[in-house]
Amino acid sequence: MTEPLLSVRNITKRFGGLVAVNNVSFEISRGEVFGLLGDNAAGKSTLIKCISGVYHADEGEIFFEGERAQFAHPIDARRHGVETIYQDLALANNLDVSANIFLGREVKKRYFGGLIHTLDNKTMLRESRQTLDSLQIQFPTLTQPIENLSGGQRQAVAIARAVYWEAKLVIMDEPTNNLGVPEQKKVLELIRRLRDQGVPVILITHILPDVFAVTDRLIVMHRGRKVAEDHRRDEHRGTRAVHGRRPRRRERGRAGAARTERRRPPREREPLNLGPGGRSRTQVRAPRGGLASMFSGPDLRRAPPLSVGVVQSQTCTRRQTPCTRPWVQ
Amino acid sequence: MTDRGSRIALPAEAAPAARETPAQRFALMLSRVWAWLFLGAMTLFFVVAVPLVSGGDVNFLTVRNSQNILVAIIPVLLLGLGQTFVIISAGIDLSVGWVMSLGSVLSALALRSAFDSGAPLFPSVVVGLIAGVAGAAAVGLVNGVIIAKLKVPAFIVTLGTSFIVRGVAYLMSENTTVIGLPAGVRAYGNDALLYYIHGEGGGAYFLNRPDVGGELLRRMDTILPYPVVATAFVVAYAMFLLGKTQFGRHTYAIGGSMEAAVRTGIPVDRHIIKVYMLSAATAGMAGFLSTLRFTAGSAVIGDPLLLSSIAAVIIGGVSMFGGAGTVVGTVIGALIVAVLTTGLVMLNVEAFWQFIVVGTVVIVAVLIDQSRDLITGRHRGGPAT
Amino acid sequence: MLRKPAFFAVVAGLALAMASPGAEAAGKIKIGFLPGVVDPFYQVMQLGVEAAAKDIGADVVTQIPPTWGVDVQTPILDSMVARGDLAYIITAPTDKDQMVGPLKAAADAGIKVITVDTFLGDGDYVNGPVKFPLSYIGSDNTEGGRIAARGLAKAIGGKGTVYINSTNPNVSSVEGREIGFKEAMAKEYPNIKVLGPDYNLDDANKAAQQTAATLQRNPDLAGVFGTNVFSAQGAGTAVVNAGLGGHVQVVAYDATQLAIELMNKGVVTLVLAQKPFDMGYMAVMFAAADAAGVTSLPRRVETGFAIIDKNNVTDPAIARFIYKVPAK
Repeated sequence: MTEPLLSVRNITKRFGGLVAVNNVSFEISRGEVFGLLGDNAAGKSTLIKCISGVYHADEGEIFFEGERAQFAHPIDARRHGVETIYQDLALANNLDVSANIFLGREVKKRYFGGLIHTLDNKTMLRESRQTLDSLQIQFPTLTQPIENLSGGQRQAVAIARAVYWEAKLVIMDEPTNNLGVPEQKKVLELIRRLRDQGVPVILITHILPDVFAVTDRLIVMHRGRKVAEDHRRDEHRGTRAVHGRRPRRRERGRAGAARTERRRPPREREPLNLGPGGRSRTQVRAPRGGLASMFSGPDLRRAPPLSVGVVQSQTCTRRQTPCTRPWVQ
Repeated sequence: MTDRGSRIALPAEAAPAARETPAQRFALMLSRVWAWLFLGAMTLFFVVAVPLVSGGDVNFLTVRNSQNILVAIIPVLLLGLGQTFVIISAGIDLSVGWVMSLGSVLSALALRSAFDSGAPLFPSVVVGLIAGVAGAAAVGLVNGVIIAKLKVPAFIVTLGTSFIVRGVAYLMSENTTVIGLPAGVRAYGNDALLYYIHGEGGGAYFLNRPDVGGELLRRMDTILPYPVVATAFVVAYAMFLLGKTQFGRHTYAIGGSMEAAVRTGIPVDRHIIKVYMLSAATAGMAGFLSTLRFTAGSAVIGDPLLLSSIAAVIIGGVSMFGGAGTVVGTVIGALIVAVLTTGLVMLNVEAFWQFIVVGTVVIVAVLIDQSRDLITGRHRGGPAT
Repeated sequence: MLRKPAFFAVVAGLALAMASPGAEAAGKIKIGFLPGVVDPFYQVMQLGVEAAAKDIGADVVTQIPPTWGVDVQTPILDSMVARGDLAYIITAPTDKDQMVGPLKAAADAGIKVITVDTFLGDGDYVNGPVKFPLSYIGSDNTEGGRIAARGLAKAIGGKGTVYINSTNPNVSSVEGREIGFKEAMAKEYPNIKVLGPDYNLDDANKAAQQTAATLQRNPDLAGVFGTNVFSAQGAGTAVVNAGLGGHVQVVAYDATQLAIELMNKGVVTLVLAQKPFDMGYMAVMFAAADAAGVTSLPRRVETGFAIIDKNNVTDPAIARFIYKVPAK
C-alpha cells in the first residue's frame, strides 16, 4: 500500500481545561474521500484546524507527504497544498468567479520593466474556464458577481479554487448543509471528481446520506475522541470492519445506545458476517427506539449525529451502483 | 450516480432572478446610470432656466462657468477619491476634513520656511506639497494602524483623530491662518494651461499668461487651471488603481468579505493601513491646492467638506456597506453637487436651498441603490440558497 | 478719508444727481451683493442696499454665504462673476489677504469691487498694497475698539481683568477692534489686564463656551468685550448663565436686539452700534456714481458709531441704530 498522504498520530488539543481533541489518529491516502463524523462539539472542526494550521496541536504529530508537518499558519498549510473549504466558503460576493478563484493570488501583467502591475484578467478568466471545464462545471457567465449564484454553484467555485491551486488535500467542512437536494447531489459529484483526479478529500459532515454516497473511509468522533472507524475500502473487497471502542460508562447516555458491542484494537481487520448474496447489511446492535429508528426512517438528516460505526454493504463502494436505500440519492 | 460522461451543469435555476422581464432589465439599467442622467438633466435645467430667470443676461453654458465648476469640485473630489477607497473596503474616514486643513497649514508653513531660508519658488512649492501630503499620510497611518491592528471601529477612530488633527492644525497655524507666503504662489494656484481672449485682438495662449489689461483682460478666459490638471491626474491614477490593479481588487475583496480576504491570504492589515493613508494623502493634497489658491494656509478650510465628500461618494453609487463603487461614480457625485451650487447662485436662489437639494439627492441615491433588489425581487445579503 | 458731515453731503449730492434725468443715460446697472454671512448686521446692510437700489433703479443680485469662510465665499463669488451681467460687486471680504486673489480676478473680468465693513490688505486703497477696489465703506474699527475699551474700563472702575472674545482672525473689522481695544487699554488703563482674544469662528455657542471657560478660570474676571454680533451674544449668554449678570460687565459691538435686551437686563453695559444701513446704501450710490462717470469718489469712508447705553437706549435718535430687520 502506498504511503498515506496524511498521517495524523495521537493528536491532542486542549483549550484550558477542555480537551477538544483527545488522542486522535488516522491516515488518508491519495484519491480517497475520508469522512469525519461526529456530534457538535465532538472536536471535528478543532481537529481539522490542527491539520490546517489554524491551531497547533498540544501533543501528537502530523505527517504530510511523508514529512513532519507543523503548519504555522493556514496560509502555510495552503502553500503545502492543504486547502480548507469552510462553511462560509471564503468567497467574495461582489467579485466574479475568476476573481474569486484567484483571490489573494492574482495574476499580474508587468509593464515598464516591472514598474507598473495590472491585473491580467484575460489570463485569469481563461485559466478559470479551463479548471471549471476539467471539473465539468458549467456556469452561465463567469464575469458577473457571484452573489447571485446558488449555494451549490458557490460550492463549485470554492472547489474549483482548490483544484486550480493544485491542492493535494482538500478539507471540506459541512459542504452540503444549506443546500437543496439536487444541489447536494452535484456537490457530492464534484467531490467524487476531485477524488478521481487523485485529490483526497476530508469531508466533515453529519449528514449520513452523504457519508454513504461518497466516503470511502470514515472516523467518528465524540467529545474529542475517535470512537469508531470504518475502512470501507481496503484490499479485501467485500470485507468490512468496524473498529470501535466501548466508551467509558459515563459517556453513555443517549448515545450509549449506539455503541458498538465488540471491542477491537485499532487497525485490526475482521471479516464481518455477510448474509447471503453479499447484499445484507449488518448493523450495530442497538436498542430499539434509538439507533434502529434512525436507520429505518427515511429522513436521516434529521437524526442527531451520533458516534456510531456503520457498516455498509459492498454495494456501496465507489465503483458500484448506489445503495438501494431510499434516502440515499 | 450520474454517468461519468455528463457535465455537471449548474444553471441558475436555484437563483430567483433567472429571467428578468424587459421592464425589470430597463429599471435595473436605469438604476445604474441614474446619476449620469440626473447630472445631465440638472445641467439642462440650469442651461434653460438661468437665461430665462435673468432675462437673457446670464448664461449657464459659458467657458468661464465650466471652469468655475471644475475648480469648485477639486476639494470635494479629492476628499471623495480617498473616501471611495475607504468606503469600498467597508470602512469610513471621518477625519478627512480636518486632515485637509492640516495639509493646508503644513504646506503653507513648509513653503514659507523654505522660501524664507532662501530656496527659490518652485522648490519651495514642492517642499510644501511634500510636507502637506506626508503630514496627512502620517495621520492616515495612525488611523490605519489603530483600525487594523487594534480592531477599533473606523467610525470611532477617525472621529477621534479628526479632533486631534483639528487641534494640531489650530496650534500649528497662527490663529488658524498661515499668511506671509511669497506672492508667486498665487500663480501656481490659479494660472492655467490655456488662456483664450475672445473677440478682436484675441487669441489662444498656451501656458503663458498674457500680460494684458483692460478690455482684453475682461475678455480673457482661464481654461484648465493647474490645480484642475493636477486633480485630473490624481483622478486618472485613482481609476487605474481601483479598477486595474491588485490593490483595487483587494480593496473590493476586503469590503465584500473580510473573512474571504483573510482566508485567501490577502494581507488585510497592511492593506487597510494603506487605504487610510491613501485617503489622508488625497486630503492633504486638497489642502495643499487650497493653500496655493488662496496663498495662505487655513486650519478651518476642511470642516464643511467632510460631509460634502461623503455625499458625493454616496450619490456616485458607492455602497455604504462596502464592496461596490467606482471612481467615475464619485466624480459624477462631486459634479452634481458643484453644478447644483453654481446653478442656484446663478438663478439667484438662496444658498440654503443647496443643502436641502443635496440632502434629498443623497437619500434618493441610497433608495435607488436599495431598489435594485426590489426590482428583481431578490433578497440581498441573505444566506446563499 | 471723510468725516460724517462731509460725506452726507456727498451722498445727498449724488442722490440728487441720480434723480436727474441725465443719470438714466447710464442705463440700468446690475450690482452684486455678497456679504460675509447671515447675521442681523448684514441683514440691515441688505436693507440699505435694497433701499438704494430702489431709489436709483438698479438691479441687485444678493447671495449670502451660509457660513463665514473663504472657501464658502469664493465659489459664490466665482459664480457671480461667471454670470457676466454684473457691473459691480459690493462685498465684505471674509479674509483680508485670501480674498485678494478671487476679488482681483473679478476686477480683471471687468467687475468693479466695493468693499463694505471689512477691507482688503490694509484698507488704504490709495497707497496700500491693494489698490483695485473702488472704495472701502465701513466703520473705523480701531477707533471703535478704543471706544469700547474706555467704556469697559469705566464700567469696571479702572482696574481688573478683562477678556476679548472675537470671531475670525485675519478679518479686518474685528481685528481692528481688537487692536484698538488693546491699544487703549495699554495706554490709558495700564492696570487692566487683557485676556484673549479667543476666536469663536462666528458661532455664538462657541463664544458662550469660551467665555464660560474663561469665567471659570478667572473668578475675578471683571469685564468681557464681544467684538461682533455672535461674540457679544455668546459672551452675554455665558455671563447670564453663570449668574454673573451685572457683576461682570460686558461691552458689545453690534447692536443686535439680543444685545439691547441684555443691556436692558443689566448684563451689557455698552453697545456700539455700527451703521450697516449707511454702508449698504452708500455702496450702491457709489456704484451708481461710478457708472455715471464720477471719478472722484472717496476711496475710504468711515461711517461712525452710535454708542448706546442704558441712558440713551430709549432715545429714538439713538435707538434707530439698533439692528432691526422687519419680518418678511
